[in-house]
Amino acid sequence: MEARPALSIQRSGTQQLNNCGASGALSTSFPVLPSALEEKYPNLPDSQQVPVERQFRPCTSTVVSPISSSSGVVGHMFSSSSGLSTDLHFSSVSQQEKHSRQSLFISQSTSCGTSMLFQQASHSGVLHSTASSQYTKENNDTSWCTDSLDFLDYPINQNNPLDSCNTGEILPSEDLNKRNWEWADQLISDDDALTSSWNELIAETNVTDPGLKVEVPQQSTTFSIQQPQASQQLPASSGETCPVVPPTPSGSGAPTKQRMRWTPELHEAFVEAVNKLGGSERATPKGVLKLMKVEGLTIYHVKSHLQKYRTARYKPEPSEGSSEKKHALIDDLSSLDLKSGIEITEALRLQMEVQKRLHEQLEIQRNLQLRIEEQGRYLQMMFEKQCKSGLDLLKGSSSNLENPLTDLTEPVLKSPDKSNLGVSEGNDHKMDEVGEKQKSPENEVPENLEATATDTPNSPPPKRAKLDE
Amino acid sequence: MKFGKRLKQQIQESLPGWRDKFLSYKDLKQLLNLISSAPPVLSGSVEYVRAESEFVVLLNKEIDKLNSFFMEKEEDFIIRHKELQQRIQRMIAKSGSEASEIDYKAEMRKIRKDIVDFHGEMVLLINYSNVNYTGLAKILKKYDKRTGGLLRLPFIQKVLQQPFFTTDLISKLIKECEITIDSLFPAPAEKKARGEIEAITVAGEGIFRNTVAALLTMQEIRRGSSTYSHFSLPPLNLPDTDVVKSLQLSSPIPIP
Repeated sequence: MEARPALSIQRSGTQQLNNCGASGALSTSFPVLPSALEEKYPNLPDSQQVPVERQFRPCTSTVVSPISSSSGVVGHMFSSSSGLSTDLHFSSVSQQEKHSRQSLFISQSTSCGTSMLFQQASHSGVLHSTASSQYTKENNDTSWCTDSLDFLDYPINQNNPLDSCNTGEILPSEDLNKRNWEWADQLISDDDALTSSWNELIAETNVTDPGLKVEVPQQSTTFSIQQPQASQQLPASSGETCPVVPPTPSGSGAPTKQRMRWTPELHEAFVEAVNKLGGSERATPKGVLKLMKVEGLTIYHVKSHLQKYRTARYKPEPSEGSSEKKHALIDDLSSLDLKSGIEITEALRLQMEVQKRLHEQLEIQRNLQLRIEEQGRYLQMMFEKQCKSGLDLLKGSSSNLENPLTDLTEPVLKSPDKSNLGVSEGNDHKMDEVGEKQKSPENEVPENLEATATDTPNSPPPKRAKLDE
Repeated sequence: MKFGKRLKQQIQESLPGWRDKFLSYKDLKQLLNLISSAPPVLSGSVEYVRAESEFVVLLNKEIDKLNSFFMEKEEDFIIRHKELQQRIQRMIAKSGSEASEIDYKAEMRKIRKDIVDFHGEMVLLINYSNVNYTGLAKILKKYDKRTGGLLRLPFIQKVLQQPFFTTDLISKLIKECEITIDSLFPAPAEKKARGEIEAITVAGEGIFRNTVAALLTMQEIRRGSSTYSHFSLPPLNLPDTDVVKSLQLSSPIPIP
């Protein structure tokens, strides 16, 4: 494994490869790998097609981590190898690479222990800077410690920013966060199959890091539910007094410097507490915290909020315009007659008009954006469903074409390769047409997709060509 | 004009403290160019994978940045909102007693100005949120197009739930503000001729300028483009656009 030093550079990328490439995994000639891989990637194409498809889905929709970004690439890599050729050597070579990288990660992560990881994980802000600084620093360094932080940082820290207040779902059936954790879990659990030394390291990991509890990933649908799930159920803007804290992936007890999202109700409680303690000057953060009795609120939150509160009171309305100008204004104003008073009022009214208009437009724009994404998601779902049903049709017709078709349809859908770009463009274009014609998606999409699934001359040529192979 | 340029314009017109808090669209674009130019993964390229992961890392960093700034401003606004309300209540209570007329007037003017500026800043925060979201959506679309990946759809779903995009609270505060303002201001005078509006500008140059610029930029961005798709927003046709434009061009005349 002399390639390791070089591989350390691409650890983040290889994470992606590990996860997604696995889905398209073929049987390999490596004796060491099969058990590990089968454990990790139970749904090999030879065994079942549907799970493979689903496995792909998680890969590509794992948005936060680099997984999704290169899933297409990897997917393609495997699809081309699995579907088109019997290039097992190629696939097994890449699997070996994957494997070595994967083991690289695991040992890296475990050697450093994960308690540190989770302390950092709880502070997403720090995480990112750490991750990126580590990244750049350790480019040529084969030190495993820092790399490990990066490795496990990715699923974790990417959970934080993007999974806060997660009330939606990417897929109908699965949750992104679960997938991230499952992925991390898988990578860690795989070590057991590798070598005994790694087993030892893994045991170390599991001991130090209860947050990342490993459950044997038998199915892609069963995920180990981690703590983040619970905290992520908090709605984004709650009217409750309960503070909305962006979730932390661990309960490791680190002093979380998570940003707190204040609400008016919370602020009311704060003000009440402050007043009880004798005003903003006399109140102490500790006292206020005790009085407020709000779960999840830390003294850091209260401290910073108190500071802001004090500033706001003793320097009322320091708007972005110059405040000294304003004081001069007031003095002058008081000596001016009524007319200029009216002028000023009118000017303010004008300002209000413009502001209100901007607000109105922004609201409209925002709603449009939401609906567009919703529609896009719906279209994607329909598309996938149709392709799947099309697959079933094809499955029924020709059994010997099953495997390559499965692998092919996925990359066709994802269009990971540049040579397949025409397909994706075609698909996108199709969807564009659907949108621009502004027909109702329910009617348009099934038509298009059915056309694709069955034998029609109207389907995008590249896709048909691929399937025909 | 390209989005990157428009964004730059917006940033230039924005309030000073905000300028470095916008999305680093240019950096993301550069990384994307790097990804496209790097040899594909198949040939065992390290740069490609590295560039890709840098891209995603930067994306996440940016989102963190946007979230922090947004939530901080939101917190500030909540505090200010409460303070303004208290000031108004105090003033109303004072007006009952025989305080100096001039003082009352001065205080009234100050409060009016402050509350209008407060309203403006909140709207600008929503604009900030929206502009950054648009930038993210665009860069993700470019990413998918260039690399053939499927990052956009799921990632955008997540973005939609981020604090910086869930602006409901600020919207609510804005509406409450508008109600208060309506009660603070006397009944509107007769509609002045449009030409006179140009002569009247306010001293809150920063906020006003920024607001006008934001409106116009929004319209520009949404003009039809070559890459119009069903993910694009329809063109925005503001009535009185020429009036708004004239507001932008004329240099603000500070109230004496």
